[in-house]
Amino acid sequence: MVKLYGYPNSTCTRLVALVCKEKNIPYELIHIDLTKGEQKNPAFTANQPFGQVPYIDDDGFILYESRAIARYLIKKHPNQGAHLIPSDPKSEALFEQAASIEAFNFTTFVTPIVVEKVFKPRRGLKPNEERVAELLGLLQPKLDAYDLILSKQKYLAGDSVTLADLSHLPYGTAFYGAGFHEVFESRPNLARWWKDISSRPAWLAVKDGA
Amino acid sequence: MVVKLYGFTTSTCTLRVAVVLKEKNVPFEFIPVDLLKGAHKAPEFTAHQPFGQVPYIDDNGLILYESRAIGRYIAAKYASQGTPLLPTDPTAFAFFEQAASIETSNYEPFVSGLAWELKFTMWFGGKTDEARAKSLQGQLSAKLDVYDAILGKQKYLAGNDITLADLFHLPYGAVLLDIGLDEFSSRPNVARWWKDISSRASWEAVKGGI
Repeated sequence: MVKLYGYPNSTCTRLVALVCKEKNIPYELIHIDLTKGEQKNPAFTANQPFGQVPYIDDDGFILYESRAIARYLIKKHPNQGAHLIPSDPKSEALFEQAASIEAFNFTTFVTPIVVEKVFKPRRGLKPNEERVAELLGLLQPKLDAYDLILSKQKYLAGDSVTLADLSHLPYGTAFYGAGFHEVFESRPNLARWWKDISSRPAWLAVKDGA
Repeated sequence: MVVKLYGFTTSTCTLRVAVVLKEKNVPFEFIPVDLLKGAHKAPEFTAHQPFGQVPYIDDNGLILYESRAIGRYIAAKYASQGTPLLPTDPTAFAFFEQAASIETSNYEPFVSGLAWELKFTMWFGGKTDEARAKSLQGQLSAKLDVYDAILGKQKYLAGNDITLADLFHLPYGAVLLDIGLDEFSSRPNVARWWKDISSRASWEAVKGGI
């Protein structure tokens, strides 16, 4: 059984859990207590040198970086659950394009907004509202491009859902729930796509804890 | 028809694609996009790249953008020529994905942020946010300490063979060195790795501009 070393509420841990659910891969969550800094302990950093959750132990094979883990699990189990990475070269290229769009045209801006508006308050710190406004200003035109792309096709890489769509869910959900739902809802195609991916049973199964 | 690369001669992301094309001995036609005249925001450009960013390629009618997606596409399509940049063995491939993700989340946000604050913002009439630059440098420094530990055990980021993941570090690494920010030399393994990848003929051929 895949051992998932992570934190139930961590965005990156839940991405891996989501992929396990989509692919019907059983996993065991080994709870790493971020509130006690367990991820910085030598026992953890021996396996994940950056001191970040999650990592997996798949029968002795250790791998970290949630996107890498997701890709590894998807490629290992091509014939069960959802097909989340296409295999024909052209579709795969468009998947890689979409995966890169997520990393650099969405997550780059959404993550620091979530840090300011969700994570900092949890630690008793005040959000830097000026920085949030700056980030939002950079994000909005990106989402206009998303809305255009999604007016022509159902998902970010084409007409089938891929890992690129699912990768938006953990931080996107935190962003949506932090008072920014209008940013998605005001763009009809983006809103349609968001409703679709965020209501997948696999996401509903893990969104409140891996 | 050769691959057409639409980009800006010294743009980091354009160079990221160019170095891969060179490493794989793939001939290409470079079509300059005049960023300073806003050509990347013109309708003829955004029809192909809706985010209005360079580069994109046209490979005999297949339009692809996002430099890392283009790099992966070229490395896979031309797997049998030039330097192998993607492992074929599943375990080695998983380590490549881990390394590619490390570059995306533990390197790129800090080096691109620093490049913006210390160089590019001035091109657009901005000024350096010293506090932000200092914070980014501190974070980059901590990440590169981990790189040094990883590279103390293996030659490249994914193992003992070079992969795309190593090459992806070149453009922003070079920008920072060029403006005098050297976080590599003080770390012996990082320095060794940087010297190795930055002295490859493929990088020498494009680093001054296409």
